[in-house]
Amino acid sequence: MKKVVGTKVKRLDAYEKVTGKAIYGDDINLPKMLHAAVRHADIPAGKILKIDTTKAKNLKGVVSVLLHDDIPTVKKVGPIRRDHNVIVKDSVHFIGDVIAIVAAETLETARKAADLIEIEYEEEQGIFDPREALKPESKLIHPEYKSNLVVHYPLRKGNVEEAFEKAESSDDEIIFERDYKTPYQEHAAIEPEVVIAEPNHQVKGVDVYGSIQNPFTTRKVVSIFTDLKLNQVNIIGSTMGGSFGGKDDIINVMACRAVALSLATNRPVKLAYTREQAMKEGYKRHPYFLNYKLAVNKNGKIKAMKINIVADSGAYSSQSFFVTWRSVVQATGPYEIENVQTDIKAAYTNKPYTAAFRGFGSPQIIFAQESMMDELANELGLTPYEIRKINGFKQGSKTASGQALTEHKVSLMEVIDIALEKADYHNKLKEFEKYNKTSRRFKKGIGFSCSYRGSSLGAEGVDTTSAIVSVQADGSSYIMTGLNENGQGLRTTYAMVVAETLGCTMEDIQFLTSQTANIADGGPTVASRGTIAGGNAVKDACDKIKANIFSVIKETFNVTEMTELVWADNKITNPQTKQEINFADAVQMTLNEGINTSAYGWWKSPDVSWDKETGQGNAYFTYVYGCQVAETQVDTSTGKIDMLNMVAAHDLGRVINRTGAEGQVYGGVAQGIGYGLLENYSVQNGIVKSENFDEYLLPTIKDIPNIDAILVENPDKYGPYGAKSLGEPTLELGAAAINNSVKFALKKKYNANPLTLERVFLGKDLVKKVRQSEVVSKERCEVPNINSKSNSETVPEKTTDRVSDINITVAKTLKEALEIMSNKKHWIISGGTDVIVQLRKEKYHKELLDISQIKELKITNEIDGNIVIGSACTFSSLIDNELIQKHYPLFIDGISLIGSTQIRSRATIGGNLVNAAPCADSVPSLFVYDASVKIESTEGSKIVKLSDFILGSYKNILGENEILTQIIIPIPKDKKYYRYFFKLGRRNALNITRMSIATMMSFDDNNKIDEVYIMPGSVFAKFQRLTNLEEFLVGKEFTTDLIEKVIALLDEKLESEIGGRWSSPYKIPVFKNMLRDALLTILEEK
Amino acid sequence: MNKITININGEERTLEVKSNLRLLDLIREDLALTGTKEGCGVGECGACTVIMNGEAVNSCLVMATQADGATIETVENLEKSAPELQESFVEHGAIQCGFCTPGMLMSAKALLDKVPNPSDMQIKTALEGNMCRCTGYIPIMKSVKEASKKIKK
Ligand code: FES
Ligand code: FES
Repeated sequence: MKKVVGTKVKRLDAYEKVTGKAIYGDDINLPKMLHAAVRHADIPAGKILKIDTTKAKNLKGVVSVLLHDDIPTVKKVGPIRRDHNVIVKDSVHFIGDVIAIVAAETLETARKAADLIEIEYEEEQGIFDPREALKPESKLIHPEYKSNLVVHYPLRKGNVEEAFEKAESSDDEIIFERDYKTPYQEHAAIEPEVVIAEPNHQVKGVDVYGSIQNPFTTRKVVSIFTDLKLNQVNIIGSTMGGSFGGKDDIINVMACRAVALSLATNRPVKLAYTREQAMKEGYKRHPYFLNYKLAVNKNGKIKAMKINIVADSGAYSSQSFFVTWRSVVQATGPYEIENVQTDIKAAYTNKPYTAAFRGFGSPQIIFAQESMMDELANELGLTPYEIRKINGFKQGSKTASGQALTEHKVSLMEVIDIALEKADYHNKLKEFEKYNKTSRRFKKGIGFSCSYRGSSLGAEGVDTTSAIVSVQADGSSYIMTGLNENGQGLRTTYAMVVAETLGCTMEDIQFLTSQTANIADGGPTVASRGTIAGGNAVKDACDKIKANIFSVIKETFNVTEMTELVWADNKITNPQTKQEINFADAVQMTLNEGINTSAYGWWKSPDVSWDKETGQGNAYFTYVYGCQVAETQVDTSTGKIDMLNMVAAHDLGRVINRTGAEGQVYGGVAQGIGYGLLENYSVQNGIVKSENFDEYLLPTIKDIPNIDAILVENPDKYGPYGAKSLGEPTLELGAAAINNSVKFALKKKYNANPLTLERVFLGKDLVKKVRQSEVVSKERCEVPNINSKSNSETVPEKTTDRVSDINITVAKTLKEALEIMSNKKHWIISGGTDVIVQLRKEKYHKELLDISQIKELKITNEIDGNIVIGSACTFSSLIDNELIQKHYPLFIDGISLIGSTQIRSRATIGGNLVNAAPCADSVPSLFVYDASVKIESTEGSKIVKLSDFILGSYKNILGENEILTQIIIPIPKDKKYYRYFFKLGRRNALNITRMSIATMMSFDDNNKIDEVYIMPGSVFAKFQRLTNLEEFLVGKEFTTDLIEKVIALLDEKLESEIGGRWSSPYKIPVFKNMLRDALLTILEEK
Repeated sequence: MNKITININGEERTLEVKSNLRLLDLIREDLALTGTKEGCGVGECGACTVIMNGEAVNSCLVMATQADGATIETVENLEKSAPELQESFVEHGAIQCGFCTPGMLMSAKALLDKVPNPSDMQIKTALEGNMCRCTGYIPIMKSVKEASKKIKK
């Protein structure tokens, strides 16, 4: 008999996704559809004095412009507290507030109209720290609520004060206190938000499509907003390009806007966000400030825990009520403590608001509490394992909210033991300890973290869901559910439950995308409840159908109990008599009897309870347990962390789809690595600095190590086939495990994530003071590139980044190009990888000249002892070029690390040099090889040294009518050169170069230094070889002593040239380390 | 307006394109091939990856005009040109939400066309410009590796 549950199954929606046939929101185009744009606020806090839409309305193609007062119905929405204006009236609460919405015949027209709306503000000082917001004297962000406090959850168990007093007077106990801080995190689903609204005349209402995580929530919000009845609003979710909790509230307000425009114009309207808009307006994970104070017995038993947490709710309350509630339940971690006092408060600020994100209030507390457990162990002379063994939950333990864990298997120590064994943790501790003693530059670490987590919604609210299973006469069936496929694989899981329960095959099951109009409200797809809630509802429907079929076939089989028959492999069998009936025949028999083979499934969670005053109660009906182990390697020269391995062991009750479950683990772990190491969504004084993925760094494929996913099964009595939940626990543990691992490697502790270069190296982050709008180059460095030329007419700022007002002329020959340049000023576009990014921000009309198709500029040749490279040669072509490989390995080292493969296939060497970004990766090695460039115009040509061509950051000597046509590099002498190139970036691919070093050396017959080249990248304001260092080294014997002497020289130079810059406390010592590493590496090689 | 001729998925097309049209817009709007996705518009996510003259490129960073004379392949052509790769993605769970998938497939295809038997590092380098927020890349790595074995046979 073939079992389905627990096997590896291909996703039901896989075929459409590998062929490009799946329809995502932005792929929907309806007849007569208009395009919408929003006008975001330009300030983070203040009053709107005047809005003038005249110019916008007069723009040809604009159909509708709506302001707050144009909306006849309810204007504010919100899941609990309706404090969120869909379109703001007269005050701005954060930079992502929407002041006006526009619908037009084309997308460009809509966006241009949004630019043309003129708004006058009176800017006010915003509040950007929630702790500040809670001070009594602080200005009220939403005066109508009389306080900046959004919510406060207390939890009281035992008597904490008494326990602390006792500890203070006892020799056996200590008081231990720690502060932690966690950052915003952006969901960064690769699909940006999009909604389409269309009038539905049949119901005198609307249909809404798009990337909608929780269709029933969206329906409710739209219905409130429009005053339409629920049965007049139909939400039809499209294929979701990822959500992770992120396509809820933001989509709801976007849906309201699209609906408003659609009702106003009586046409379909699409509202699609760019990444920048999604990053700016979309909500994030809450930043937390956490204080933990413990009373601990010296043998390791925690006697009391007092926790104070302040959460940043941002401009709106949104889901803060729910997110912080989960935190208060789980804040102690999986430890049994007699006396607990927790207070968590969420407060408004003038920043992007915060709401649901996979993990939902747990990654923050786990980062704090699990980092703290390791520090506590250290303090007491215990191991991290021992401290958890002493305090960790066991069967029957009582949680902080007084819930006895008796109804499920408490598998905390089981998952810890399994994870540690797989990671070979105990041996690695010793091995790494030894390694770290001898290794100069790199240190290795291993650390772990563990958690418990309530499944589904718990006492947050009503916890129910729906499903429809309909079996057709031929035995095939379809499923619809009230929960949503967000990419996590729900459809497949549900089909497996149907296949397992009815014994039919996966191929015979179709999952139909539900609409809110054809199934009962199934609640939100959140809280990792997809499997446990939806799976139960699906199973409930199947059980009903099964009972109906059984009522007919039992006579045929001559049995009385369902359990006497086996339903599998499309057959129903009596194992005793071997009698069998095809499933399809059984269905037909049932239908012939006039009995239904379709059913509505319903699930309601077992009872839970919560006392708001004391924080006591049975918060969730069951819990899951997990443990992750992180192995890291830290480069002590720079503070850069590399992941070596991750082990993730999760008790999920029961595996339904093994492929899907493992996928959840890999994906969650990767997001945890991002949270731990890379992702810091930066907002400075209310201005969003992380506008796109070049500033907000997601882990690339090169940042993710091997991940061992271990699925531990302890079936739960409440789950379908024993399954509980998995999606969120996989994300919540990584940051803490990494922190513990780094702590082990460096013997230093860190109280905030992510572990950026500066934080690891200096113990704190450095803040740069550059306005985002000034920073436009793709190869961003610290120096802004200001390319806009002023123009006599006033052109409005671009409020949506996009390529808009340009004209491109294409030159097919160099002669043609030079002539065009001699007549009129053009921006030259070649590979486009920098120019197009800059164009998205450029507000003035630009004339472009495309030289990428000029054949003569794409040739590389050897001429008279030089290699001559055409300026339109792409980096990929140079990396593959044998001449270049042979003569300029240092150049290959540098350019191989530019951007990504896709960038290198387009970006050209000429573009890189003309752009003259201080972090341009082709430049350092070209300085070492003493390259020159050829500049041409109709008036003639000249050859200049590259060092004379680049004047400074983003500055070169190119005249308005000139084109850089060739790069000329002398072929180096035929002798042994030692080389070293190192590029420092925060991640392992698609990096902005923080600093780089290119070094090349040769030695004479007496083993003295003959030639030496030292070339820094992105260190000084102007590209320069460190000639004084080079001169110092030439002719000397190469020793470690000499290296230290030259570093001292470097120190002087750095201090005098870049000392005092915001970045110098990091850059100066790190660049010295980089030079030391360079020279020592060459010394060793020699 | 510029007139261009491109070969898209084996078909020769001549089109009038506006100057501000990106190759990505040309593919998604003018040619209605919506399999290619936009995730960032600045070359940082790879969702828009197509193969242009044999190389993986971000179609958000190529102006349509610049594609004159180019041969372009998008995900819609893979059933013809690389079914093993698609099957391998399906088989090994390389797809969750699927939004990165077309770009991933095109980067992988461009690699396998050039290097039929790539090392792990070569696969990572080929996919370094493709962000996936769902899968943690592990199944994607495996899919490309397994596909390369199958294609060789
Ligand atoms: S959309 Fe082109 S790289 Fe992201
Ligand atoms: S599968 Fe969702 S982004 Fe890759």
